[in-house]
Amino acid sequence: MKFLRDRMRHIFFKKTLSEARPHYEYLKNKWTEKHRALKSTLWNKHQQSLHWAFKNLPTRQIAMGSLSGLMLLTPSLSLPSPSLITPAYSTFENIQKSPFLVSDLANVLPQEVRILTLSEETEITRILSRDLGFKVTAELDGKRLNRNYGIIGAEQHLARYPGDTMATHFDIQDEAQKFYSSGMAPGLSAWGYFAPSKNQFTKEDSLKEKYYIAVQTFLSENFNERFLEYRDFFKYRKMVVVNPQNGKAIVAVIGDSGPAVFTGKHLGGSPEVMDHLEREDGAKKGPVLYFFIDDVNNTVPLGPISVK
Amino acid sequence: MKKKHFYSHIIETSSLSIALGDMDLSHEERLHLISLAESNLHHAILDAILSELSEEDKKEFLSHVFSPDQEEIWKFLKGKIKNIEEKIKKIADDLHKELHEDIKEARLAPA
Repeated sequence: MKFLRDRMRHIFFKKTLSEARPHYEYLKNKWTEKHRALKSTLWNKHQQSLHWAFKNLPTRQIAMGSLSGLMLLTPSLSLPSPSLITPAYSTFENIQKSPFLVSDLANVLPQEVRILTLSEETEITRILSRDLGFKVTAELDGKRLNRNYGIIGAEQHLARYPGDTMATHFDIQDEAQKFYSSGMAPGLSAWGYFAPSKNQFTKEDSLKEKYYIAVQTFLSENFNERFLEYRDFFKYRKMVVVNPQNGKAIVAVIGDSGPAVFTGKHLGGSPEVMDHLEREDGAKKGPVLYFFIDDVNNTVPLGPISVK
Repeated sequence: MKKKHFYSHIIETSSLSIALGDMDLSHEERLHLISLAESNLHHAILDAILSELSEEDKKEFLSHVFSPDQEEIWKFLKGKIKNIEEKIKKIADDLHKELHEDIKEARLAPA
């Protein structure tokens, strides 16, 4: 009886404590105050050189290096403190949001490009959902890809409707100049044409081809056993692709299946996707994160997105 | 790609994580406190280093500090600041002691 009473007291006490979290509040307040003081000291003493650094050093490098710690925001902190707002800093604050994403992801991602563990996956989807403003998930309708972190390679443009060639492919001259050299894939995508004819070709179809990725659908579990179901699920499925090294993100559809395993690459991106992510093929190829977007109402537009 | 600063190999941070791990904190709260502690440490170490450098050397250090080549940072620092490793260790130790004291106080704080 005494044991039960003690147990009940323990459970009740723990629950109450858990709700109140006095330790957390105490330490958060104390360490936040300490942080403000340290930050203030640092910026007051070395304002000139720090402003110089943020103004002159490449953003990407700052985000990847030890200086990123100076602009990291923790949930209860505001940076910079009012007394430290200067024109240089204000400019910096206006344009920099992806560095926070870069830093947050760097804390979770493994050193090597490998399949993520469940806990890594959970933390990363939490970060991405929070920073991008929509639900990002590794599993949708009980289906998953073989991986969500892999090396991306460059794909070519895809024929969008019968008769589509490089001569008809671009609506805007600037885009033609920029992306013409990527050429068009000799075959059709895994799903065929994006539209059955030029007359039926829509703006939405155009965006799907422009912002497409190729993923290894054939390596997902149960793909062969439930081929039709999986094929239909993957076809034009909306995904977010993120370069964890610069925080650039883009919403794309699964427009093709591939690349083959022997290539050593795990997914491919259209020329426009690669350009936005600042990813290259060949010796300079690098990793990206790619997750499903839970977008039942189709409200998330295709194309580049910024951290909120 | 666990984020490492150029000084990470000479300081110890696990004791703070362990001390926080013994407290009644959610995963997110613990992570938040660890990130606060690490950020405090980072600011303190950068302040200590920059305080020992001339204005020109500060810029050079800041240019080096994001370099993936950490040997380059250390080569620069060792050339400019005597016993730099010991100094960083001391800053880190002192701050860790303070933070551990705070944790002790937090345990005694009324609910």
